[in-house]
Amino acid sequence: MSIQTQETGCSFLSKTPDRVFSPEEFAKDEQLMIDQALQFSRKEVVPLAERIDAQEDGLMPGLIRKAGEIGFCGIDSPADHGGLGLGKNLAARILEFLSLNASFSVTYGVTSGIAQLGLSLFGTEAQRAEYLPRLASGEWIGAYALSEPNSGSDALSMSARAERQGDKWVLNGTKMWISNAKWAEFFLVMAKIDGQDVSAFLVERSFPGVSVSREEHKLGLKGSSTARLVLENAEVPLENLLYEPGKGHHVAFNALNIGRFKLAAMSLGPAREAIWEATQYAMDRKQFGRSISDFGLIRQKLADMVAHYFAVEAALYRTGANIDAAFAAHGGTVDGNRAAAEEFAVECSAVKILATEAEARIVDEALQLYGGYGFTEEFPLARIYRDCRVSRIYEGTNEINRVFLADRLKRRADAGRASLVASGDSFASELAGKAMAKFGSDQVTVGALSDLLLLTYAEQSARLRAQQVGGVAQLAYERFTNWANIQAAMAYQTVTGEPVALPSSRPGHVDELADAILATRSPI
Amino acid sequence: MKILVPVKRVVDPYAKVKPLPDGSGLDVAGVKFDVNPFDEIAVEEAVRMKERDPSVSVTVVSIGSGDCEEQLRKALAIGADEALLVETTDEMDSTVVAAELEAVVRQVGPDLVLMGKQATDDDCNQAGQMLAARLGWPQATFACKIETAQGSVRVTRETDNGEETLDVPLPAVVTTDLRLNEPRYIALPGIIKARSKPLSRQPRATTAAPKTRTIRLEPPPSRPPGRRVGSVDELVAALRERGAL
Ligand SMILES: Cc1cc2nc3c(=O)[nH]c(=O)nc-3n(C[C@H](O)[C@H](O)[C@H](O)COP(=O)(O)OP(=O)(O)OC[C@H]3O[C@@H](n4cnc5c(N)ncnc54)[C@H](O)[C@@H]3O)c2cc1C
Repeated sequence: MSIQTQETGCSFLSKTPDRVFSPEEFAKDEQLMIDQALQFSRKEVVPLAERIDAQEDGLMPGLIRKAGEIGFCGIDSPADHGGLGLGKNLAARILEFLSLNASFSVTYGVTSGIAQLGLSLFGTEAQRAEYLPRLASGEWIGAYALSEPNSGSDALSMSARAERQGDKWVLNGTKMWISNAKWAEFFLVMAKIDGQDVSAFLVERSFPGVSVSREEHKLGLKGSSTARLVLENAEVPLENLLYEPGKGHHVAFNALNIGRFKLAAMSLGPAREAIWEATQYAMDRKQFGRSISDFGLIRQKLADMVAHYFAVEAALYRTGANIDAAFAAHGGTVDGNRAAAEEFAVECSAVKILATEAEARIVDEALQLYGGYGFTEEFPLARIYRDCRVSRIYEGTNEINRVFLADRLKRRADAGRASLVASGDSFASELAGKAMAKFGSDQVTVGALSDLLLLTYAEQSARLRAQQVGGVAQLAYERFTNWANIQAAMAYQTVTGEPVALPSSRPGHVDELADAILATRSPI
Repeated sequence: MKILVPVKRVVDPYAKVKPLPDGSGLDVAGVKFDVNPFDEIAVEEAVRMKERDPSVSVTVVSIGSGDCEEQLRKALAIGADEALLVETTDEMDSTVVAAELEAVVRQVGPDLVLMGKQATDDDCNQAGQMLAARLGWPQATFACKIETAQGSVRVTRETDNGEETLDVPLPAVVTTDLRLNEPRYIALPGIIKARSKPLSRQPRATTAAPKTRTIRLEPPPSRPPGRRVGSVDELVAALRERGAL
């Protein structure tokens, strides 16, 4: 993949780029890597879904080790410490294809992603050399411990503390909802030094005073481990403080920026799987003497599912290419890494919201298309449905991401690093431009403004991709815009209270798209 | 020991393809290509031999358009040492392929040619046999197990009457069956390494012309819908009725 981009954070709003990176452009050998991920999912993971959900002893750590042997656990970690040093966009595409089963996906996503990212971006040579090789090889499973029973969205209100006692840090507190806790040997832990300064610590499970308790009973993702990390006078060597004292929030939040981008990929994986399964089912299932794929309302579902997938996929990999370009331009030093990870924070939040909400819609419609069988465990949709619900909750709830998105844009604009003048290159962009004038502080309008921004981003990404790719992509784009326009009109009304007329839409495009999907059974 | 593995670029066997409207070929726009699965098994086997015995070297060769580089790189990623691309856009059948491979064998000088028993696009199952005949080498087709010995290979082959075991003196041509092995997941570092492994291109060495010509391609006629019967008796009656019994 060659990185060519003139985009900067939020520039999508005021400037239409000539072209964007689209997932068709991964190089041939990158495609081969992505292919390995798909085959690994299909052969090693998906068939074990029930056993994974039962948390069969040793099964998940074994799968992670296998994934590690292929090289999947350190794709975008530094090459000098056991990683492959490849780009984040490629890592995300591989993650998408390793996400057909969500329990495996979250386990893999955390250990290959946010558990290592803090170290990769902020670690000293010695710290990276100590931990990255074991995580990147899959020998160790890693975890990321920020949330607490009384501090979730409001993460900085955490009560975990660290005190310096002689030649060590002593940590106390309880971290809740920690993915991978059951299996993890390594935890990136956020705690406040002297109850004041949020700081990041590299904590091994074997350190005195560290324990894991209470596996949660969850609605879905039953095969993933979610448990508490308990720190009772936990002893951590002085050199295991990551970055600087009082700067743990930079570690935590920059890991989350990239984490949100990666989560978007993790959400598209199950969506893709749902489309794949449902398309086949629609062709096979006969009622009234015909395949249900002959019926208009079923065809509309297929068209909508693919259209949402297509548009979000466009926005996601456009963002990833931009992130890679930012790292290529600025990365290397700690300050540079920080700048690179922050540059597209708004876009990371946008794709997190877009992908998780597209996933929810796609999976819901796919289940509906299965009728009663969709509600049974014999068919794959029931599991996908339960598993996907959490996507809108973690890595920042979608509410928090909506608040963050508009707020970040405003702050960038205040600092002279973004323009609030919309280019008006689409219906959503025009409305976003007009709504911007009413930028207020109440959450409902802020949320609606964020919706206009993320719809603008998705529409523009899908439009450029469709122009570049042509064919069925044009139909998918057309269908998506139709939906996006309606959403944009609603959001605009929420902000301004004014009426707004919708652009027209071309009759027949749903049928054309459905025909194309059924001809290839492919989510494009 | 030096092993030569020919690999063919074929339409992804799982892709749905349609003939072009004029029947002159397949509509491959947007279709994925891959290494012929039988050839991938041959590459895998050769690489396993190399892993057991470091003195083994593996060369892969493809005959076709410049796009075949993609398939050669895949073979290199699995673990082959070097690749050769005989670049041509000529129409070819098994005769032409065997003639070109003969030239490549004389150039590379392998002890063993290991290749797929057939390709999933035209399913001819001829190139290996024709190559052995041209070279005057012994051949063992449809291998499901290969063991190496001093100066020979012991090949177990699947036949309709069970398994047959042959000791074949080298140099020889061996063609692979599906059960020989299950190709590995290609490790990502291998894919990165393959970028810098040697791949040389050369033009065709012969003027061999195809003996067959494609006249028209058309999709198989669609099957009429089946009918459900309630019992074995009904089934037998229905088969009788159609003269099938
Ligand atoms: C399966 C699973 C795995 C997880 N894995 C990890 C992990 O590995 N590491 C980790 O650190 N954490 C993890 N989490 C925790 C997750 O990040 C938090 O649950 C999430 O951040 C929300 O926090 P909370 O549950 O305390 O909800 P709350 O913050 O209490 O939120 C409750 C509701 O209020 C809304 N809300 C809160 N504040 C605002 C606001 N300012 N404006 C508008 N709405 C608001 C929220 O959007 C939400 O709808 C995991 C959670 C789950 C369920």
